[in-house]
Amino acid sequence: MKQRKFPSVYPTASFGGLLFVLGAMWYAASSQNSAAAYVLLFALTGVSLVSIPHTLINLAGVTIALEAVKPAFAGQEVSLPVEIMNGSRATRHGINVTSSGSSRERKRVDWIPASKAARVTLRLPARQRGEHEIGTLCLTSVYPLGFVRILKKFATSQSYVVYPKPAGDLQLPLSRARSPHRRPPADFGEGDDFAGVRAYVPGGSQRHIDWKAVARGRGLMTKQFAAEAEGSVYLDFSALHFADVEERLSQLALWVIEAERARRPYGLRLPGTEIMPAVGEPHFHQCMRALSRFQ
Amino acid sequence: MFGTLATWIPSFFLLTLAMKFWMEPKGYRLRSAIWKLVLAAVTLAAIFFSYGSLKGIEPGVSVLVVLMSLKILEAHTAREFQVMVMIAWVLCLCGFFLSQDLVIALCLLAAVVLLLVALVQFHGPAAAGSPGSFWSPVGVTCKLLAQAAPLVVLLFLLFPRINTGFRFEIRDLSSAASGFSDRLSPGSIASLTNSSDIAFRAEFPDRKTRPPGPMYWRGVVMWHCEGMEWRAPYARGSSEPGPAQRGALPVQAPGDKAIRQRITIAPHGAHWMFALDRPFEVPPKAILARGNYLWSVQPIRKVRRYEVVSSPEVTGKDLQPRERKEALEVPASISPAVRELAQSWIAQNSNPRAIVNSALQFFRTQRFRYSLSPGEYKKNDLDQFLFHRRVGFCEHYATSFATLMRLAGIPARVVVGYLGGEYNDLGRFFLVRQADTHAWCEVWFPDSGWTRLDPTSAVAPGRASLDLNSFLARRVASGEIEARRSAFVTQLTQSAIFTNIRLAWEAVNYEWDTRVLGFDADVQESLLASVGISSSGPFLLITETLGIAAALLVIYAGWMQLRTRPRVDRVKALYERFCRKAARFGVRRNPWEGPSDFSRRAAKLLPDESERIQKISNTYIALRYSPKSPALVLNKFAKEVNAFAAHRR
Repeated sequence: MKQRKFPSVYPTASFGGLLFVLGAMWYAASSQNSAAAYVLLFALTGVSLVSIPHTLINLAGVTIALEAVKPAFAGQEVSLPVEIMNGSRATRHGINVTSSGSSRERKRVDWIPASKAARVTLRLPARQRGEHEIGTLCLTSVYPLGFVRILKKFATSQSYVVYPKPAGDLQLPLSRARSPHRRPPADFGEGDDFAGVRAYVPGGSQRHIDWKAVARGRGLMTKQFAAEAEGSVYLDFSALHFADVEERLSQLALWVIEAERARRPYGLRLPGTEIMPAVGEPHFHQCMRALSRFQ
Repeated sequence: MFGTLATWIPSFFLLTLAMKFWMEPKGYRLRSAIWKLVLAAVTLAAIFFSYGSLKGIEPGVSVLVVLMSLKILEAHTAREFQVMVMIAWVLCLCGFFLSQDLVIALCLLAAVVLLLVALVQFHGPAAAGSPGSFWSPVGVTCKLLAQAAPLVVLLFLLFPRINTGFRFEIRDLSSAASGFSDRLSPGSIASLTNSSDIAFRAEFPDRKTRPPGPMYWRGVVMWHCEGMEWRAPYARGSSEPGPAQRGALPVQAPGDKAIRQRITIAPHGAHWMFALDRPFEVPPKAILARGNYLWSVQPIRKVRRYEVVSSPEVTGKDLQPRERKEALEVPASISPAVRELAQSWIAQNSNPRAIVNSALQFFRTQRFRYSLSPGEYKKNDLDQFLFHRRVGFCEHYATSFATLMRLAGIPARVVVGYLGGEYNDLGRFFLVRQADTHAWCEVWFPDSGWTRLDPTSAVAPGRASLDLNSFLARRVASGEIEARRSAFVTQLTQSAIFTNIRLAWEAVNYEWDTRVLGFDADVQESLLASVGISSSGPFLLITETLGIAAALLVIYAGWMQLRTRPRVDRVKALYERFCRKAARFGVRRNPWEGPSDFSRRAAKLLPDESERIQKISNTYIALRYSPKSPALVLNKFAKEVNAFAAHRR
């Protein structure tokens, strides 16, 4: 990731406190003419001064890399996995990662050994659907004494997508090809037919983890269920009659989820966009992105 | 243990600390503002009732300690932690106002270092549980201290000592003064024999070894006789001797026995200054009072260092009639028996020296005893002492002898000072303790002026050449007096190792007192002048100091940057060079392109170099991915990269 300009340095709030304490000590030492008090005053002054280059150096060689950000639904949290790499030959201590922007989230790494990396996850609240810029990520450190702060800014061109919040009371529209003998998919349509297992992906529902497989030592697996294939369905923006656009998008998002869970081919019709019916993860995300980007 | 603080204050602090340890794991914290105020008010009131005031150093320190304790109960955030550390630093400073002793200084240094360790640990904790988790912050702190050391020395030597004028009184030192007072009464010196407090230390800059002969350190001269009690001529409590008492004796030329001394005096809150018998060159800010003793113009409230030259040959050559009258005054209350004794000596031989000898003979032969606990005497108990009990310490002998001399018509006075002291071979200085306080007499002989006479040596021969403790030890060994301590302690304190450790510690202590505590504005000025920095005003000095400090910091930063910068990967650097060269001929490597794909494409585009490109890329892959690549291959790789496209220019 690109580092923006030079790192900047500024005093912390406790620097003011330090100045006050040193000033008071100087006053006491000079009015008492006490050499021992001067020794203490100068020792603290010296150590505080020497701590400044230590702080300055503490971020030298430290860079960050941002991994791919998983989309999230509005109202949930976005996780930004950040890798902090220490390319220097010394252990770096007390590094804070901050995301800029409206929601300041701070994570702290206590130490990173030489030429190792540490990983933190910044959690940002996903308030609004749409595509958001990550903006600038900052590394700060006040190590070792906390009197000055060094700040290193990293510009990132990456963005993350927030899907509309799935909501609404309407049933998934029935397709014309639907057989009358089928009961409507109950309960958020995961089908009842076991369709196999796949490796667990973080973020997946814990309810479908194959705990027996875990017990057998096969790692985390998710059970897949498939509903019987039914006729494809078109989810149409213009067919919904809510006044609020967001409400319509929420309903559509809910339907997309329901249809995907039911393994039922679905298409999306938005003003100006049409996505042909299909099923599967890429299709699901394509539809969701279209919904979240809808103007 | 906690000095002069009321005992409940440190106990309160320890209690809150223990509470914190109990509260923290449970997540309890002092949150309610009302409770905080109530606690603060209650403790402040308790401090007020303990000391009767909130002013002064002890109540001030107590307030700080109490506030710190409450802060401990309340603290939770990072900022509060930082604030606590800084309050603790101020407390360390207060420690120096209570005592500047080297032991205290070392304890406070340890406290400051531990606070720094805590700060470092707080801002960047090391791996918990790993063996380095404690020592890593300690190491960082030591590094900080080591790097700060030159700065501290620089600031200490160069930073101008501006006197802010206003001086708040820390505490009344005159009450804690030495055993000295301007009044010598029976028992006043004997009560000091257990005191190991340091009175002063003296070194002799002109000589390598201790001067020979007994060391009589002159303190104050007493003229006013009240039998067994003597007084200095000025009133108690007056800050200075009156003008009549100032430097009455003409200063004589020193003989070749002159001894230069550099004396470091411990603060005693009064005006006394000490020098070998008798001083004639007066240090600055002091005067030579009547009777040839030093008198500081200002009370001595901090460690002071001065140089003085003494010579035993300095004596007053003439005695003013007024002084003569004063040196012969005796109170009317002296009993006829004592007067008779003095008269009997005159009747024997009226020569003053003969009278003195008869008096000394009297002390020697009449079974007088030298004792640390001679019992109580009142100031009129002269005949009790001379004819009945005959037990006394130096002040009894000095006062009674001088009184007898006056009765016999010989001008006499009492001198109080110190006798002996311990010579420290390591530091080459004399350490004189309060226990070495001594009183002796001076009598006037028309031919030789004021002459020192120590009647104690008539009773306790050998005392004059030793300090009191060695003298007592010798007497204990010969069974003359009872030991004051158990045999084991005596043996331990006299063992060679113990003695050497003690001497070394005293030498270090001396260095601390003279080089650090004695470093004031005057010493700084002379130091700066000696290295050629004339006093160019405090602000220029501050600027220069800060300039040097800034340069030092830049050097540190650069050095640390160099030491920790990433290691250069030579293979990577060479391959990147190869790619740059290729790019110059229009074959740019795409970010997604692996080395073998790129080499195939490059070989196609640059057919005349295809063989070399192939070789470079194969070597690169081998260097990167084969488990072991000898240095030879790396060198070959470098050669190939250098040769690539070399002739195409």
